[in-house]
Amino acid sequence: MPGDDGLLAVRAAEGDEDAFEALVRRHAPGLLRLAASMLGSPAEAEDAVQDAFVSAWRRLPEFRGQSAFATWMHRIVVNRCLNMLRSRRPVTDLDSVPEPAAPDHSVSPVRAAESHAAAVALGRSLSELSPEQRVCWVLRELEGQSYETIAETVGISAEAARGRVFRARRCLTEAMTAWR
Amino acid sequence: MAMNSGAELPGSGTGPGSGGADVPAEDERLACGRMLSEVWEAWEDGADDPARDPHLRACPHCSAAVRQLDLLGAAVREAGGGREPEWDAGALTERVMDVVRLELRPGRPLPLGEREEDLWVREAMAAKALRAAAETVPGVRAGSCRIRPAESGGSPSRGPVRVRLEVVVPLTPRLRDLAEEVRRRVRGAADDALGLPVDHVDVHITDVTDPAGADPGGVGAEEGNQP
Repeated sequence: MPGDDGLLAVRAAEGDEDAFEALVRRHAPGLLRLAASMLGSPAEAEDAVQDAFVSAWRRLPEFRGQSAFATWMHRIVVNRCLNMLRSRRPVTDLDSVPEPAAPDHSVSPVRAAESHAAAVALGRSLSELSPEQRVCWVLRELEGQSYETIAETVGISAEAARGRVFRARRCLTEAMTAWR
Repeated sequence: MAMNSGAELPGSGTGPGSGGADVPAEDERLACGRMLSEVWEAWEDGADDPARDPHLRACPHCSAAVRQLDLLGAAVREAGGGREPEWDAGALTERVMDVVRLELRPGRPLPLGEREEDLWVREAMAAKALRAAAETVPGVRAGSCRIRPAESGGSPSRGPVRVRLEVVVPLTPRLRDLAEEVRRRVRGAADDALGLPVDHVDVHITDVTDPAGADPGGVGAEEGNQP
């Protein structure tokens, strides 16, 4: 019920913590997924989303509903992730690649091992992107956002967002082609 | 990879003006003469429809470039497809709310009971009770609820208060009656449950929803306000 978000956000802004809790419950899963794909680590994703919600609670009195609560929250999380990625650079530690997906038992072991390896290869090449490239790529590829929306979220021009996604794709396709 | 690492320093190019340098520095001209960025863009925009640009489909260089993206897409699906299918946000919600409860915003104190008493309730608490009262009317959802001393004087004053409540209500031909019912219940809750002397309840209808569950009507704000 996204229409309900507006009411809950207004109530939360007026100090109703129950309304805020309902918003957290509703939006946390999607934001965790987003943060995990940006950061490559479930534990860091939880930290990012938790910090983002706490910061949202503090800033809610100034939130005037110019944008939907979900959009506002999304932006806070993206920026939080961007800052975390920046402070993490440079990453050369290969142990920091994301945990690969657990093998799906409905597929054959060979196939599972292969997709496991693909996940590791992808995770590794993702961690070699610059923070901006990675964030722009996730928003484009996994969230399906327009370049204009990405630009607005990240605070760059649409052309720059396009350029970052292009570079990210070049790096990733080269890495995946090499891996195959 | 190597082309990336030297080209963009961490943290560079985040300003709005720095986009220009970022664009096609690493673009590549394919053997057929097309730029890689153009080919990928066309693929992304769905312009690889042969009716629109037969070259893209026919050219071996362009198709190879598109296949690279397809491979990447497949790897992304393999890697992320099954990962964290359902995040359990319960523990996270608890942690967030632990912090929030240490940083409550209770709002101003409002007088309870008689003038000579020294009993107060915080605005956020009172507002919660009044919103809940409004929502006992079927289909009504309460948003903003502001409670102010009716007579502005020394702060905090002990006079009766004025309530301004925003509600979203179901579509009905009797909006005025509905608003009146909301006002009656809010006043009742203030009097009986809280003991908060109320001078005035303004009910603002900010939206109307279709009870059939269709999209909200989105009519402008209608105002029903009288003491």
